[in-house]
Amino acid sequence: MSSCTRFATEGRTLAAPDVTRLIYRNIRVNTDPASLFILLGLPALYLIFFGYGFGSIAASQGGSATAYLAFLAPGIMAFQSVMAGTVGGGMLWADRRYGMLTQLLVGPFTRLQYLFGIMFTALLIGIGGAAVMLVLSIVLLGTGPATLGGALVAFGAIALGSLFFGSMMLLLSTYVKSNNAYNSIQILLIFLLNFASTVFYPYSADLPYVLRLLFAINPLTYIADTARNGFHGTLSPTNEIEMIVLAVETAVVLVLASRAYMRADVSAME
Amino acid sequence: MTPDALLASAPAPSSNGGPVIVVEGVRHSYDGKRNALDGVSFSVRRGEVFGLLGQNGAGKSTLIKAMTTLIQPTAGRLEVLGRDPQRDGQAIRERIGVVQQAESFEFTTVQGNLDLYGFLWKVPKPERTRRREALIARFGLDEIRRRRSFDISGGQKRRVQVAREFMHDMDILFLDEPTIGLDVLMRRTLLDSIRAEVRRGLTVVFTTHNLEEADYLCDRIAVIDQGRIVALDTVDQLKRLYLGKRTIDLSVGAVDAPRFFDALRNALGPAASVSTDGASAVILVDDAKASLAAIVELAQRLGVQLEWLTVRPNTLEDVFLHSIRHGGENPGGP
Repeated sequence: MSSCTRFATEGRTLAAPDVTRLIYRNIRVNTDPASLFILLGLPALYLIFFGYGFGSIAASQGGSATAYLAFLAPGIMAFQSVMAGTVGGGMLWADRRYGMLTQLLVGPFTRLQYLFGIMFTALLIGIGGAAVMLVLSIVLLGTGPATLGGALVAFGAIALGSLFFGSMMLLLSTYVKSNNAYNSIQILLIFLLNFASTVFYPYSADLPYVLRLLFAINPLTYIADTARNGFHGTLSPTNEIEMIVLAVETAVVLVLASRAYMRADVSAME
Repeated sequence: MTPDALLASAPAPSSNGGPVIVVEGVRHSYDGKRNALDGVSFSVRRGEVFGLLGQNGAGKSTLIKAMTTLIQPTAGRLEVLGRDPQRDGQAIRERIGVVQQAESFEFTTVQGNLDLYGFLWKVPKPERTRRREALIARFGLDEIRRRRSFDISGGQKRRVQVAREFMHDMDILFLDEPTIGLDVLMRRTLLDSIRAEVRRGLTVVFTTHNLEEADYLCDRIAVIDQGRIVALDTVDQLKRLYLGKRTIDLSVGAVDAPRFFDALRNALGPAASVSTDGASAVILVDDAKASLAAIVELAQRLGVQLEWLTVRPNTLEDVFLHSIRHGGENPGGP
């Protein structure tokens, strides 16, 4: 019997309290000041600096700084799903690096529980981070969601996005062998995901073809569009399609990440 | 004596129960070419301290990984606490503790590491606090309790790693070279802690390079070499194999060594066990006086300068060296 089959069998013993303990542990060891700054401070700085900076450019060109802030705020909330994903991948990587992956897996947990622990932690971090950005945008920038229903849709999109990016980063951290390589790929991905999406600026037919293509295949575009339309109460059938596509993509990446991780020789990963 | 004969002749260890680990013909290969474990068989009884001795890469850690469900052996039968690791991995892991050879720690304070580990093991808060404080005192962690674990020395990290494992209850404790990086005092504290737990019924599987530790702690010892068990018995019994024998340590000039050692084997005959390493030799003999005379006479006859020649009682180290160099053959025996 292969180790994959073995752990797949063990996976049936998944128990919620075990995963809850892992989630608590993941949050506790990942909420040091430096991690919190990266997680919340960076998006907050984006919101403030880009909001006021690009807002003033927009105002100088006859546009509205307030309108740009209203555009940017839900985009930054959507960006939290990417940050949550990086935390998810980072947790697996850190556990590999500091020996806790095998230590937990010779403890009272299955591989599947460990995997779920990371995914749910990423989900909570995505939602929590988006909530902090929402409060920040209301308090500092005076811009908030138009309707409660729309806000819920926005948070739903961010939750789905957190699972998507969490799975993607998990897949990456399962395969990549070196810490430097992992960090480099992660930085490149964050850059591409952020700036080839509608987080900071709207999609335009005037963009070069390559950029338009990147916008179209970038899941963060779907998340940002749905979060923004939910935020402003302007949801359309297009957003439904975007969410369905995102859900399918998330399922595919989640399965791929799970299979890769379950098959990996954990003892050789450290 | 062959390894199989050794296995068969190994007496039932002093114990207070049936076997809690059964390993039968276990093989494991990481790459499909070389066997890291090559037909390993033994059993460990409840309340026993079982030592695994071997050189680097001998297969000790692979064996620990297999017993702790981290890897699936390529072949053979493995049973831990009466369960099959393939089917009941989690049930086994809930009743074992593992101190791995590699460093492992959480990104939090020393006391946070202990507390969080207890939490993961479902230890209730009051009991967790009580155990944490007891372990901090026992392992001398009070001064560093509020320091983050990445900010302490390697030896301190090792102490935290070992102390942490006592936060939860267990039936079997696997220790993969737990004393690496520990000073003499802390090493003894750890060994005494293990002894105290064993008196309460804990079973311990322990790998080490340190033969004094094994002598101090283990009821039985398996010497493992190239994935095979080459000696397996109680410490006393292993030493008894060498009872009446003496060890002669000898070294000569490097140029003369091969010629001299060949001649020495012939001169001393099959009753003496000669293990050589470069220009040095360790010789197990029945009659030290006659052997010394023969060595000196041979050196004079061949014109070889003896640089070191001494006689001493046998130690566990001799058992170990003899086992891995002679594949478990009875010293000097047929």
